[in-house]
Amino acid sequence: MAVLSTADVTLVFSSLCTFFQETETAVSQPQWPENGGQWSDEEGGAGMDECGLAEMAEEDEEIDIYNNETFGMDMDTEVVDTEGDPTNPLFQFGEKPPALPALPSLSPSSPPFSPRARPQLRVQGPPGRRGRGQRGGQAMAQMFEDPAVVRTVEGRPSLQSLDSAIVDVGSVSYWDDLDPDAWMLSSYERTRHASGSVLQDPAIVCVMDSHAPGRGPNYLDSHYPFSNSSGRRGGLRGSYSNRPFGQRCPSQINTMLPSSPIVSRRPFTTQQPYNQVGGLPSPRPCPSTPQPLTPKMMQLRFGANSPRPSPFYSPSSNRVQRFRFPGPVTQLHPQHRRLLSQRQQRSQRKPDSWDPYCNLMSAKEKEWIIRLQMIQLQSENPHLDDYYYQEYYRRMEAKLAEEELGMRGKREPPKLTTPYVTKMDSYTPVVHIEGSLGQVAVSTCFSPRRAINAVAAHCPHEELKDIRQQRLDVLKKIEKLFMVLLEVEEGQRMKAQVLGEGEEKGLMEKTEIKVEYIYSQLQHPDLEAEEEFLPCLLVSKGKQLLARLLPFLSHDAALKVLSMVTSHLPVLMSRDSDESLPVLYPSLRIVIGGMTFSQLIGVLKDFTASLPDSSDGSVCLSLVCQSKFGLSLLYALLSQGERLLSSDVPLEPSIGDFETWTDTVFLVASQLSQSALVEPLLLPSNLLTLFCRYLDKRTIHQLKSNMESATGYLALPS
Amino acid sequence: MCISVLQLFYSFFKSLVGKDVVVELKNDLSICGTLHSVDQYLNIKLTDISVTDPEKYPHMLSVKNCFIRGSVVRYVQLPADEVDTQLLQDAARKEALQQKQ
Repeated sequence: MAVLSTADVTLVFSSLCTFFQETETAVSQPQWPENGGQWSDEEGGAGMDECGLAEMAEEDEEIDIYNNETFGMDMDTEVVDTEGDPTNPLFQFGEKPPALPALPSLSPSSPPFSPRARPQLRVQGPPGRRGRGQRGGQAMAQMFEDPAVVRTVEGRPSLQSLDSAIVDVGSVSYWDDLDPDAWMLSSYERTRHASGSVLQDPAIVCVMDSHAPGRGPNYLDSHYPFSNSSGRRGGLRGSYSNRPFGQRCPSQINTMLPSSPIVSRRPFTTQQPYNQVGGLPSPRPCPSTPQPLTPKMMQLRFGANSPRPSPFYSPSSNRVQRFRFPGPVTQLHPQHRRLLSQRQQRSQRKPDSWDPYCNLMSAKEKEWIIRLQMIQLQSENPHLDDYYYQEYYRRMEAKLAEEELGMRGKREPPKLTTPYVTKMDSYTPVVHIEGSLGQVAVSTCFSPRRAINAVAAHCPHEELKDIRQQRLDVLKKIEKLFMVLLEVEEGQRMKAQVLGEGEEKGLMEKTEIKVEYIYSQLQHPDLEAEEEFLPCLLVSKGKQLLARLLPFLSHDAALKVLSMVTSHLPVLMSRDSDESLPVLYPSLRIVIGGMTFSQLIGVLKDFTASLPDSSDGSVCLSLVCQSKFGLSLLYALLSQGERLLSSDVPLEPSIGDFETWTDTVFLVASQLSQSALVEPLLLPSNLLTLFCRYLDKRTIHQLKSNMESATGYLALPS
Repeated sequence: MCISVLQLFYSFFKSLVGKDVVVELKNDLSICGTLHSVDQYLNIKLTDISVTDPEKYPHMLSVKNCFIRGSVVRYVQLPADEVDTQLLQDAARKEALQQKQ
């Protein structure tokens, strides 16, 4: 439509007028004067004869009917809001996007219309028939109106409005037979209301009766040949050949008339049901999988067995909702979709207000554009390309499943993925999609940031580097280790899938190597034993790395890490400005759970060990009490000891272990009862049992109240 | 085709579809709404919008849904509990890895 220029319109319209002249019917329109000086009363001038307003009205109605058939169906989607909606999820697309027929060809082709013309349109008669006088004035006024604008006619209701009512009724009755659940149509509801009121109008009922037999099925049927359509505009002749309104062969001319004036002239009340109803017939439930639109792409081949992207179906019959699913082509993770539909059910209904600017694009056009984008986004490896989204919802799903069933390893529900596409490996710098304007955005450089990573090593010697540079080095190293860790975790994930014997072994070996690599790299080469992890550990990213690495380490290595953490706890706690230490807690807790008694005692000693510059072991403990992580770690250790002691497993303690144990318990208890405690990450339930065995009642009470005040719940169900 | 390049934020915003966000534009307009959809250019569609600043923009009062071109966005404010920062970091690492290849 936008392609039209007024010049074109004028040209065609004048051809139209010329054509009309050649037919022998009553005059309705004034002839466009060649010469401004010739006015009205002359023979060759403009004039109107017996066709008056009524005839003009009729003609207009017919034009309108025709135009609405032409254009109205393109306002067919009942999309009331401005978004691209899944209101018509079942479109079948032709090969081409709905496009206007080539407009420039109209002018030369209009002459051929004349012999075929059916004088459905009232046309101007030959000049000789022209009347004079009063009509002339009228004609003049009309003549100088914009020929492209259909004249507004008041008076008896146009056939159009009745027509829409018929369509309304007819379609509603038809669609009742279908499954309303297939649609997410807000308009569907409204249409029913509208049709109810329409039926009460006797005039309409009359018209309906007279037209219904011939009209209804035909009318609706004509919308069905979607598959061979390039939309309404292209397939006019074929579709409308059996129209009861007769052939509109000069359809091409009428397509020139812009639809917006037609839209604007219609009173909204009629337009509303019409547009929405107009939308209803067009999409029909398709029993088979509809073909995807494939805008012709130069370089893309689709795999022979690739699953077609199936349009998005609403699972429920939610009608009016504030939130609509984003388009028929969007494929959501099932978990995501569940969340969204839950949300919809909860949200309230709002009456949708009429939007006069909707339906400027047909649903097919909207879908075409959306598919254009989606095709560019298809990937062979959605897990990688769409990593965040897939992983996020996979984890959410797993978490919910775990919560619901209380067990892990539930089989993952089959996921919707973007269909597989065989890609060309060649890199095309300029890509053009047929039917679109301009070029598709393609990147011309794949890793512009590589230059940033190529940081020259300024100083090979450690001492010369300043603190900031050191920190940067550590961070860079940790990032590199993270990449390896991601591979390890990826390998772990793949192991969950069924692999062959040989593959699994190979995978495990590779994983082992990588884990070793990370572990060794974490240790700073220059520092002494027990301190080599510190540089990495002092950075929060390093803590995260270690926490995720721990499950992969051997028990001995893990123990080493644990002892290192506990021995340097004061340093770690004091320099933990962003409170990232707790990230280590879950992994360490698991490690503690696997410790033997002797190992436990060794670690506990670190807690009671005195700091180098202080004589009192309680200094360290008081610090611990103030730190969430430290306290939780302490609790975990004590809990493990208690568990070991109360279990039947033979402990095999070393000499002096029990003494150390008892001493530790006493020390800890006295410290805990004295100082204010922070809330730990986890409070083991067997702690108080442990204390009860060793301590007097008073201390126990104090301890208990202290611990409970910190946590807010009972330390032990009494 | 622009497939892998900058899929990270597209993927990220996809996971936020259906959540409430506040989009601050480069012209200082802040729009609060439910994220309806996003595309690979990070164009954003919001439904049920309200302008967060007290109606300094009266012309927005009647607007219910809007489409925002990605290039005019300055910030997007997100609900914190809908974002997994760890996962985001991992996704960024993977993206960097892919770009190198």
